[in-house]
Amino acid sequence: MFAMPLRNDQGIQYAKRGRPGPGEGFTVNFIMQDGEEITVQAHEGESLLDAAWANDIDIEGACEASLACSTCHLILDTESYSKLEEPTDEENDMLDLAFGLTDTSRLGCQVLMNKELDGIVAKLPAITRNASA
Amino acid sequence: MSSLNIASRTLFARSVSHSARPMTQSAAVMALRNYNATVVKDTPASAKKSKFADKFATGPSFEDFVGGNQKLSVEESLELKETVVDQQAAAAAVAAEAASPSTGKPAKRPPKQRLPEWLKTPIPSGKNFTQIKKNLRELNLHTVCEEAKCPNISDCWGGGEHQTATATIMLMGDECTRGCRFCSVKTNKAPKPLDIHEPENTAEAISRWGLDYVVLTSVDRDDLPDGGSAHFAETIMKLKLKAPRILVECLTGDFQGDMECVARVATSGLDVYAHNIETVEALSAYVRDPRAKFRQSIAVLAHAKKAKPGLLTKTSMMLGCGESEAEVIHAMDELRKVDVDVLTLGQYMRPTKKHMRVHEYVKPEVFEKYQKLAEERGFKYVASGPLVRSSYKAGEFYISNILKKEKEQGMSVVGNDAVVKLTNAGVHV
Repeated sequence: MFAMPLRNDQGIQYAKRGRPGPGEGFTVNFIMQDGEEITVQAHEGESLLDAAWANDIDIEGACEASLACSTCHLILDTESYSKLEEPTDEENDMLDLAFGLTDTSRLGCQVLMNKELDGIVAKLPAITRNASA
Repeated sequence: MSSLNIASRTLFARSVSHSARPMTQSAAVMALRNYNATVVKDTPASAKKSKFADKFATGPSFEDFVGGNQKLSVEESLELKETVVDQQAAAAAVAAEAASPSTGKPAKRPPKQRLPEWLKTPIPSGKNFTQIKKNLRELNLHTVCEEAKCPNISDCWGGGEHQTATATIMLMGDECTRGCRFCSVKTNKAPKPLDIHEPENTAEAISRWGLDYVVLTSVDRDDLPDGGSAHFAETIMKLKLKAPRILVECLTGDFQGDMECVARVATSGLDVYAHNIETVEALSAYVRDPRAKFRQSIAVLAHAKKAKPGLLTKTSMMLGCGESEAEVIHAMDELRKVDVDVLTLGQYMRPTKKHMRVHEYVKPEVFEKYQKLAEERGFKYVASGPLVRSSYKAGEFYISNILKKEKEQGMSVVGNDAVVKLTNAGVHV
């Protein structure tokens, strides 16, 4: 996977395609702040943030996937995290400002779905903030 | 993960450049462990998948979603979660819910608070509005009114009761390099390059437009070495050359604290220098972009005054983000310390679902209380109300303020067309 920062115009391609039909998409499991588990389907190459938005999951993406904030911070399960490539320096810069950072944290707008990540579990952090205190 | 791990890790990350994260090693180790695990047929991933598939199968079926009033209207889907809800209303609603359970999932949270009546605005329409919109597109101008989804757009562009239209032109494009959580202006790390003809075109368009008071604002351009301050200053200077009678207010960013840039704009001939602190000091880290800081904004306002003594400075704050009264008062005091003249307070409204939730819909009475508190502290002018925005009716208020002052001093109002026009239109002193 080419680790290039995503721009928000890429997300629109997926929005226009509509949601995946049965057997076409990959499963993403979101765990909300209150513990509620929501399972959605995502296209291949769609970011976790776009998948969340397409399914009305309440997650902010204040900078619209331009790596200028940390509001789409997600905590992934260790297995999926290890399958992903290293985050870019720009992503790391933004990630370091996120609240509740863990060893398996990533920015949702930079994680693109593929077959390997099918069944990924993404937990929303308890609080969102945009800067270090 | 223990909190100690996280603390030491963030400390490490801050002190060293991000070339090698300490967890690369452990990721590799974990990958190795997983490699061994995948040899076994029943992997953790597939076990997790089947668990969710089972849960999904036992959950609501299609029929549960089709019947009755399950579909959300546009208004409801823009509602907020977890906002401060009127306690009595919430209790009553929960009791009603329990008494007659609706189909589908049981109510887990208290009912969502709807947009209060005092914040509902009409859909923009009308001759003035459509004319202005047409003009803008022809002249290739952007306005923050449209980009930030201001609720007052029909009121301001329509001209209001005094028939004086105000529009806030946004310079340097419609893509900002910052991603503040409250703002719906598009964000882009590398926005389109500046249009070198923009100062000339904008000045020409505004001078022809016949406005009496114009507010110029811009996006933050951290990609430019001077933050776009030269471009901004040039626009103001050209506008003042073409139409000296127009009163110009400019709402700038913080230029990342570069005071030379602030001075450049402050000395370009404008009448009011505005820069918004947006929220109280305690919440700035949560609400604004990391590059924007409370103290930096205060310094910008202080420096603008220093660069041009006698210049009117103005700022604005959003309420309803989770601040307390003490914090708001502290912010007011800090602003008065640097002699800011004008303060506007408005209600934060969530522009889209991709932005920060509203913490509380502050009641109009509370806005009035803040108005009194601010006026007591010595601001020359305070506008405080749920729909008040930084440049809302800025022209009328500014001019009526001048008229009031000149009346008090016994001076007559001479020579300023804008002032005369507004007085004739009935702006009260």
